[in-house]
Amino acid sequence: MLDISALLEEIKNSPYAEMSVCAPHSGRIRFAPDLKEGLILSGPQGDFAEKPGTLLAHIERERNPRPITCPERGELVAVRRELDGQFVEAGTELLQFRHFLSRQEVEKRILQKALHLFLAPERARYYFVPAKDIKIKTAGPRSVFVHDGEELFIMSRMKRETPLPYHGPEGVIYAVYFSHAANVESATPLIGVCPPDMLPQVEEVVLRVQTEWPERS
Amino acid sequence: MIEIEKRLQRLNERLAYTCDIFADKSNAALGLLKSRLKDYLLQSASMDLGEQRRALLDLEEFFAASEEKLDADLTPMDKVRIVRHPQRICLRDILENVYDNYTEIGSMDEHSIDPSMVIARAYITRTRGKRTFNQSVMIIGHEKGHGEDFRNGGSAKPWGNAKALHYMQVAETENIPVHTFVFTPGSYPVEDTPGAAQQIAANIYAMASLRVPVISVISEGGSGGAEAIGLADRRLMLSHGYYSVISPEGAAAIEGRLRGNQRADADLVETCATRMKITAADNLRMGYIDHIIQEPNLGARPFHYDFFRSLRQELLRVTDEVSISVRGLPPIRSLRLRSRRKRAGRGLDFEKAYVRWNLPPSAQIRLVNKRHSKYRVLSRDAAPDNTPVSRRFSAVWQETGWSLYSHFMHDMLQKRRQKVAEYVDEVKSEWTLFFERILSPWNKLLDKIVGASERVNRETMRKLTELSEWDNNLVQRGGNWIYVSSRAREDRAVSCPNSQVHGCLDLWAPDLYGEFAGVCPNCGHHFPMEYQWYLHNVFDQGSIFEFAADVESGNPLHMEEFGSKLEEAKRKSGHKSSCMVFEARINDARLVVAMLIADFRGGTVGAAEGEKFIRAAERASRKRVPFLAYTHGTAGIRIQEGTNGLIQMPRCTMAVRRYIDAGGLYIVCYDTNSYAGPVASFLGCSPYQFGIRSANVGFAGPGVIAETTGIAPPPHYHNVYKALARGHIQGIWDRREMRFNLSRALLTMGGRNLYYR
Amino acid sequence: MSGGKHKILIANRGEIAVRIARACLKLGRDFVCIYTAEDAQSGHVRLAREYGAQKGLYRVSSYHDANELLAVADDSGADALHPGYGFFAEDYRFARRVQRRKRPLIFIGPSWQVIRDLGDKINTKRLARSLGVPTVPGSDKPIYDEMEAEKFARTIYEFQLRQGIEHPVVLVKASAGGGGMGIEEVHDIDLFRSIFRRIRNYAARQFKDEGVLIEQRIRDFNHLEVQILAERDCANVVHFGTRNCSIQSTGLQKRLEAAPGFDSKTLPYNFDADQLLENITRHSLVMAREVRYDSIGTWEWIVARDGSAYLMEVNTRIQVENGVSAAITRIRGEKGVDLIAEQIRTALGQPLGYTQADISFAGVGLEYRIIAEDPEHRFTPWVGRIDNFRWQERDWLDLYTHVPRDCPYDIPTEFDPNLALGIVWGQNLEQARAHGREFLDGLILEGQSQNGDELKSNVRFLRAKTDEVLSF
Repeated sequence: MLDISALLEEIKNSPYAEMSVCAPHSGRIRFAPDLKEGLILSGPQGDFAEKPGTLLAHIERERNPRPITCPERGELVAVRRELDGQFVEAGTELLQFRHFLSRQEVEKRILQKALHLFLAPERARYYFVPAKDIKIKTAGPRSVFVHDGEELFIMSRMKRETPLPYHGPEGVIYAVYFSHAANVESATPLIGVCPPDMLPQVEEVVLRVQTEWPERS
Repeated sequence: MIEIEKRLQRLNERLAYTCDIFADKSNAALGLLKSRLKDYLLQSASMDLGEQRRALLDLEEFFAASEEKLDADLTPMDKVRIVRHPQRICLRDILENVYDNYTEIGSMDEHSIDPSMVIARAYITRTRGKRTFNQSVMIIGHEKGHGEDFRNGGSAKPWGNAKALHYMQVAETENIPVHTFVFTPGSYPVEDTPGAAQQIAANIYAMASLRVPVISVISEGGSGGAEAIGLADRRLMLSHGYYSVISPEGAAAIEGRLRGNQRADADLVETCATRMKITAADNLRMGYIDHIIQEPNLGARPFHYDFFRSLRQELLRVTDEVSISVRGLPPIRSLRLRSRRKRAGRGLDFEKAYVRWNLPPSAQIRLVNKRHSKYRVLSRDAAPDNTPVSRRFSAVWQETGWSLYSHFMHDMLQKRRQKVAEYVDEVKSEWTLFFERILSPWNKLLDKIVGASERVNRETMRKLTELSEWDNNLVQRGGNWIYVSSRAREDRAVSCPNSQVHGCLDLWAPDLYGEFAGVCPNCGHHFPMEYQWYLHNVFDQGSIFEFAADVESGNPLHMEEFGSKLEEAKRKSGHKSSCMVFEARINDARLVVAMLIADFRGGTVGAAEGEKFIRAAERASRKRVPFLAYTHGTAGIRIQEGTNGLIQMPRCTMAVRRYIDAGGLYIVCYDTNSYAGPVASFLGCSPYQFGIRSANVGFAGPGVIAETTGIAPPPHYHNVYKALARGHIQGIWDRREMRFNLSRALLTMGGRNLYYR
Repeated sequence: MSGGKHKILIANRGEIAVRIARACLKLGRDFVCIYTAEDAQSGHVRLAREYGAQKGLYRVSSYHDANELLAVADDSGADALHPGYGFFAEDYRFARRVQRRKRPLIFIGPSWQVIRDLGDKINTKRLARSLGVPTVPGSDKPIYDEMEAEKFARTIYEFQLRQGIEHPVVLVKASAGGGGMGIEEVHDIDLFRSIFRRIRNYAARQFKDEGVLIEQRIRDFNHLEVQILAERDCANVVHFGTRNCSIQSTGLQKRLEAAPGFDSKTLPYNFDADQLLENITRHSLVMAREVRYDSIGTWEWIVARDGSAYLMEVNTRIQVENGVSAAITRIRGEKGVDLIAEQIRTALGQPLGYTQADISFAGVGLEYRIIAEDPEHRFTPWVGRIDNFRWQERDWLDLYTHVPRDCPYDIPTEFDPNLALGIVWGQNLEQARAHGREFLDGLILEGQSQNGDELKSNVRFLRAKTDEVLSF
């Protein structure tokens, strides 16, 4: 049995996710002038996330300066100022910020403990089989009920695709943890499945988080 | 006692109304009114009934006198407040008080496809001698409904305008005149099918040649929304109304360079309202309305019954006039008109002078022609034509020459030539058959002797293995563009705006703006290119011949600072207006092109641009060649020209209509961003509209939509793909294939001779 | 030049990066390597750490991003760039950018004009025909009109029928395509139009060029290559003999190459093989001189069973299999020819220092491409970790690999799972085959996938194919 209160307490004790922003490619870095530790950063905003987050830096490569904006809201923890004006390699960490977890993210974290997680067997890209993919895209993942042994995924690597069946208890897909754009490391969860008998508990998690988690703006 | 209360109440309302009209401005007369009313209230307690009546009468007279004085002080912005006031007469009031009977079509309060557009069938009862006649009219107008929320302030949705168009056509079928009432701050700027711009364009296009008299009455004439039902044979305007290309607030926002939710301050709005020349008197002077209907002091309200009577008389007068002016033989027409005008001067009651309003076919044609000539000459003074007199003179001769030549070549000669060709063709095919039959045994024998298969084989072998003839220069292969953008000379990388979504890598400017013609090779995004790119890479080399280059954009409203900005644009671009008109060839097919240049004042259209566009359409018509409107970009009508610009919407659309009706092929191609007036008229009315990929086409930009509707439109709301899905355009072209596509369009849409059906 | 200090950016990964780095070391040049997050374990990274210049190793976001490469070149101070093969090797736009940017670099490869002209199949074919070089029967200019194209295809169809070919096939291929991309066979002429349209659209989308060629498909052929090298100023053009690359996977990827192209001393052929090799070499040289070829390159030929040879295309880059040609080449009788070093040397402006007369050939070379794949299941790539990779050093063997031997190596999933190239040499075909078998039999290649499956490789396939090599 899942101890929701304890889990919630645990997260409340450190309600942050430490995140960092890395150079998307190589180039010369110029940090935004007003960047200070403790600064509150915003992520993309607007009805369609059309307004980019706080400007953090410009990275200039081949005389093309590109803005680097904050992907999530949070609080600036550390800036690697020594890189200012320097040429950095792709993937160099530029700054760290603390992202205060949103209700949805807390929910996701707790649910990862409650749900049956189906793990990626190998490092690869994953897709849902077309029939399920359409259903998930139109009606959401919770519209899909999966059975043990059912062909659910396509695993893609080295430009070749192999079908991958689901193994585990039957239930609805409650959460999807991967996107087809990125490689998934082996043994990381692909989906979280909620068996029918676990549904009340899952609903309780959602309810508790809704009521007990203070949303920070 | 109750009566006194009521009169007092009325005065209070009048005062409140007057205060509303003058907004927060302090005004001596207004202050006096307030204090006199206050004094009366203080003193009335100690008065007897008779004294109260007398004092009230005095007060009422004082009110009337003050209102007259105040009326003279009304600024244009005050008039804007008048027409927007909930107490302003609305269409319902007019239906009830001007017409004798009416049936609302397709609406019952909020139960309507668009409650801001009301259609009604009505009649007016008139007499001649002892006989009475019920004269039917189709009434189409915006309904503001005294501030009812669901009326949306008279801002018609696209489907409201579609309904209006439908019933104009019904009126045409029924051969009854149309009375339109313009009470709109502007069209509701959504793109949902049929789309604000495209529907207005359809309306203007249809009204251009509607075969029944159309009379419009303008109270609030807000830009494109007004034009959607405002094109008429006679345009009347209420004396306290306004007719403008943009709301004063909108003009102030542009003038003050405001963004987002910032509001312009009242003074700037006031100044803009004055400068834009939006009042009835201004518009009459400029010629965009025909007559002003005088309203009571401080504007007509529902209790002004005299006003409704005079409106009715005016409507009768002009509807009669329009009918008479096209009916019967020319000498009789002018005689009748003259005698009527004389009698009207002596106080003729139009109720008792019945004139038939339905028109016989010949009169319908005259009506439409007259409408076209009426609009053709509008705004002449707003666009200086600096063509030297000698050249102008020779141009007239040339034009007549083309007309005659085309008539001879296409109408007279072509028909005969076709007949001869058909005959020759038939004879030929018979002949070949005959010969084949005779020769076939010989050929067979020859084959046997020489060995035909051997012969053919050797030939095939050569064909398949040896170098063939090929003129590589004819094909635009491998990015060999004649014109290359100057941006292709910079050694720098450029990011594609879709890189987040499609993972496009940065592009090297010389590749992107050179060989790639500004197209991202990964996602196909089209970066904007200079108009010169199209000029040189789409049309045959050296085939461009510009005309009417001396028609020059002016500053007809004498806007401060605008004159110098205009000069700056002219200097920078080397053009005298944003519209360049020229003849060109594409794979040797001739065509006339009107191009709106985005770099010149945002490609906005004013009187000069309109005039040039019309001349281009007329030239294409005379020379009987296809007409292409290539919109490199347009932000709309040039607001600094006020109604001088706005009137180009109907003017140019009518020119297009004439051209298409005469059998022309009119193709529109949108590039970069095309918005507002031009799309909502002469561009949007084309049956063949194409968008260059990544272009945006629409009515109002996202900011304006968010402000007027309160809902921010989703990203890419105006993208050509969306426009195609909504049915607004007919296809999307890749920039690099524009030449090919255009050539194919001419072949598939224009038929064999690339012009006339 | 010769004396100037050059620094070379190696714009590639894996085996070819290792070989270029080695060549640089041999020539005494500084070099800079790049790698991606995926590729941190690759041998070329280690080599750069050990022997590279100051500022000699950079992590980049992608090997495919030209901006990354050039930004790194500028920051590291590199003044020349070797594209290797794949990636940017045959991208004339990249070569043009490298040469035309404000801070130009030496592109170690042909001039961009040559890459462009020979990268276009139509252009190459027309050039060949204008010089009387035989090409595959078919069109030599883009046909845009469908009806015209179909008429042409029918002619090819009938042409084949007349030659007695029972099931004629017409090929439709994009002019700008290559490596099996944008090419389709038409077995039923009635389907021609739809295929033609598909390829044309594909070409327009993929290569921004609608040019499509229509050709006869040659069946039952051998794939031959002529290795060419020219000085920067085009004055001295030499060849390094021929190769036979006919042993391929089902996906038409080369697996086993042999040099020279045929061995008439040992094997019987239906035609005069020596004459044929001489012909294609002569034709290749004529073309190279005509286009003013100025680097290393390969002329690809297909040879039908009746001995007719047709020029297919020109690869304007170093090829994987360059080593097999080097193995049989002697310059002034000396062994140890390194074509990559020769390519770098000439690109930097050095004269060749020898002529065709100084080049001679000896023996037979075989090149094995060791790949983690399953030949029995359509050559499906195998993914996993390599734990043990060993072989016996021999004086007749050269082995190139980027796989480290002192630690386990995870095969990156982003690239083809090529592991190593083994080049063996023998005095004659018999000895070369024997050496090949010995090499393969002694090879130790072990590993495991995440599921615990054993490593799969094509070693058995290569062993079996060794018996067939060069026979036709």
